[in-house]
Amino acid sequence: MIDVLGFLITLTTYIGIYLVLSLTLTLEVSSGITNFGKVAFYGLGAYTGALIGTYLPLAITGSRASPFDVNGIQLLYTISKSNPVLDLSVFLLSLAAGFAVSALFGLLLTYPIHRVGSALVGFTLLSTGEVLRLFYLNTEPLGESKGFMGIPNPFAWLPQARGAEALYLIIVWCFVGLTYFIVSRIMNSPLGRILKGMRDDELVALYAGWPTPLIKSKVLALTSGFTGVAGVLWAYYFTSINPNMFTPSLTFNIWAMVILGGIDSIVGGVLGTVLLASVDYAARFVIPFIGTTLVTPDYLRWIIVGLVMLVVLLKKPEGLAPRRGGVSKL
Amino acid sequence: MGVKLIVEKVTKRFGGVVALNRVSINVPSSLVVGLIGPNGSGKTTLFNVVTGYYTPDEGRVLIEGSGRVVDITGWNPNRISRMGVARTFQIPRLIPSLTVLENMLLFYDYGSCASITCSLRRKWVNVEEAAVARAMSILREFGLESIAHKRPAELSAGHLKLVETLRGLMSDAKLFMLDEPFAGVESWMARKLTDTIRKINREKGSTFVIIEHRITELLEGVDYVYVLHNGSLLAEGKPDEAVSDERVIKAYLGK
Amino acid sequence: MITQDLISFFLFSLLYLTVTIPLVLAYRVTKVINFTVANYITYGAYTAVLLDYYMRSSFGHNSLLLTVLSSFAVTGLIAVLSNLAVFKPLAEMRVKGDVLMIASMGLWIVLKYVLYIVSDIASSAWRTNLVSYSQIHYDDISLLTVRAGLVGVQQSLVVFPLLAVASMFILYLVLSETRVGRAVLAVADNSVLASLSGIAVGRVVNLTWFLTAGLTSLAGVMWTTYSGAITPEVGDSLILQVFTIAFIGGLSSLTRTAAGALLISGVENFGTDLLSTYLGLPTSIKPMLTFTVLLATLIVSPPLGVAGGVPYRFTRGARR
Repeated sequence: MIDVLGFLITLTTYIGIYLVLSLTLTLEVSSGITNFGKVAFYGLGAYTGALIGTYLPLAITGSRASPFDVNGIQLLYTISKSNPVLDLSVFLLSLAAGFAVSALFGLLLTYPIHRVGSALVGFTLLSTGEVLRLFYLNTEPLGESKGFMGIPNPFAWLPQARGAEALYLIIVWCFVGLTYFIVSRIMNSPLGRILKGMRDDELVALYAGWPTPLIKSKVLALTSGFTGVAGVLWAYYFTSINPNMFTPSLTFNIWAMVILGGIDSIVGGVLGTVLLASVDYAARFVIPFIGTTLVTPDYLRWIIVGLVMLVVLLKKPEGLAPRRGGVSKL
Repeated sequence: MGVKLIVEKVTKRFGGVVALNRVSINVPSSLVVGLIGPNGSGKTTLFNVVTGYYTPDEGRVLIEGSGRVVDITGWNPNRISRMGVARTFQIPRLIPSLTVLENMLLFYDYGSCASITCSLRRKWVNVEEAAVARAMSILREFGLESIAHKRPAELSAGHLKLVETLRGLMSDAKLFMLDEPFAGVESWMARKLTDTIRKINREKGSTFVIIEHRITELLEGVDYVYVLHNGSLLAEGKPDEAVSDERVIKAYLGK
Repeated sequence: MITQDLISFFLFSLLYLTVTIPLVLAYRVTKVINFTVANYITYGAYTAVLLDYYMRSSFGHNSLLLTVLSSFAVTGLIAVLSNLAVFKPLAEMRVKGDVLMIASMGLWIVLKYVLYIVSDIASSAWRTNLVSYSQIHYDDISLLTVRAGLVGVQQSLVVFPLLAVASMFILYLVLSETRVGRAVLAVADNSVLASLSGIAVGRVVNLTWFLTAGLTSLAGVMWTTYSGAITPEVGDSLILQVFTIAFIGGLSSLTRTAAGALLISGVENFGTDLLSTYLGLPTSIKPMLTFTVLLATLIVSPPLGVAGGVPYRFTRGARR
């Protein structure tokens, strides 16, 4: 008995969250920000959301239970089942907080990286992600290696679980729409032109009168904020998070999606994301149920993603982008 | 309205090399002046200092206009540009992923329409129209409308150079610093360029400082000449005087 | 405690030097910010692991010498193949340095998981666990230490300096004494001029890949005498420190890089201990210390102009 509808709903939600990540990365790459640390802001959002989603309901009901032991988790479940107002407010608060924390972090990080070359920017952001991950791993109130479990779905109070899933899907895709709107409006405007100029030759952009560090910080704050929200969406979708989810491999995955779509092409990026996110979903949730072979499918998945990326770069840099003529360059 | 450029005893060192040695230059308002000198004499370095790429080790750079004097020493290039200083590069630096037209538009002052909020609300449409109109009219004057949508990779060296200069003319700058605008440019275009410079100078009163090696264009195009040699100001004067000055000839030959 | 720190400081300084010096040289020649350096270390360690298991079960003893030669050869070969398949074609397409760096990330992932698969297969074929392997003890080194009268000395204290010194010595010898080594230096300095003066730049580049990757793999071999659990994550766990050091050195100055290696090793080993003793901070703070050094370097003395970047300080309009 395969639950096709359920499968489609979870798959589409999964793709949606990844689309937010890849759309924001497209904007970053277009501005010359080589963000190898997407997972840093993603994780920040997820953990912020998880913190609020578990500690707050427990605190409000005056319980002393910990969100990490069975009692606490069960209590969270019970609370969420009968408290629509609490559920929704906690969720909204998480979204706002996730945005704020990640955006602030992005803003702060611009300071050390605004003058240096893209390699350093990429490496610093990569390291930020790793340092944060190790922080989560070693901090008790964040669940250490086990992480958070039992994050309540904002629609858990609905009698039908399917309804909750569907509503959540709609929320995610509304956010995808918002992200798409913002990214495309920015990229197809004079500002978008300035960003591309900044990326190709920052000095010339400066000479044209544009305050490049300030612009970079605004862009990074915006994209980081949205990435943080994606993290919150993930936390509430998966209902449990742990540090292992926030490794550099995830950032790399998003990069592969953007490259597959051809840099500079928003539509291409969307196509690339849908494709690779589906492959990802299959590797994560589908194949383990079908059965493993001698070769762990997880490993193969990564090798395929890496190879796809290399092949695109080598053979067809414009990727899946519908090109109107002229070469798409990095 | 033009501005006066005052370079006051500017010194710039790179490690052990003194690229500029207490150079003082006073460019009167609304004049078109030339800056010449053998290779390595510090002309481009001076441009870099004036436009904010370098901070001088000693000395000051001042802009005087409408009765106010502003010390722009150590300012960032974008701030100096917004003060009304435009600068072109000796080797053209066009943005490779943008077309010629887009390159020109990059140098247009969109003001608040370059912000994120403006982009989201699409309020830049009118400003963009004006910018495109100006860019296209400049291109048309030079017969270049056909390359408006080409990318720099597809252009000839001469065209690249010309677009670099024209891009610099997009803004309402009061001080233009052009680095070898005529290099590699065909004669008729060079003449057109001189005419355009003169026109802007006449109509807007903008001041021009031009680095140039091509003597004919220099003599025709500028009112006054400064000569740099080994980082110091060697001579100055009317073009024909400066060019026939013994010291200047020796400097060029001696190199 | 302080002696323990001193020993760790000593060992890690050598480890970082062994990786970062070839890294900087490789960058100067190939112009690639190469994340597969993590793989070079890991493959070095895993050649040792596979060889150790194989030799012990077949002959009853292993050999550091053989391990070193094999690691060098295997890793060097992988690097040359990476160049031929990925970096060279990209460079010929005249792409920006960013693209090369991104490609190196793709390669990093591929090589890492290929190793996972290989060790998985070997593990099941040999019915042992190779994905987490215990510390390796080298018999030929044991013989040497016994002969020298140094009984009871942990192997890492012998192997680390031995391999580090050998590595630096080989590098020095090749670069200063051999013709091809001088060619490498010429290309590192200015590849256009080098090719104009008749140097076969392509071959020099391949040789550099081979040599630097091979030397880096020695760090992996070193690691096998130190770590109690060798996994395919070895290289990745050192990447933060390695690149921080390389960036402190501005990716150009070898002396600054060496200083950076000592600095990071010192901060990690002494700093962590000091902070945990006097401030009660957990030892897990270690990577944050390195990260802080990285941020501090970027703010105070960033390698401007390296791999892109605006080559001057932004001021707020005030005179310096």
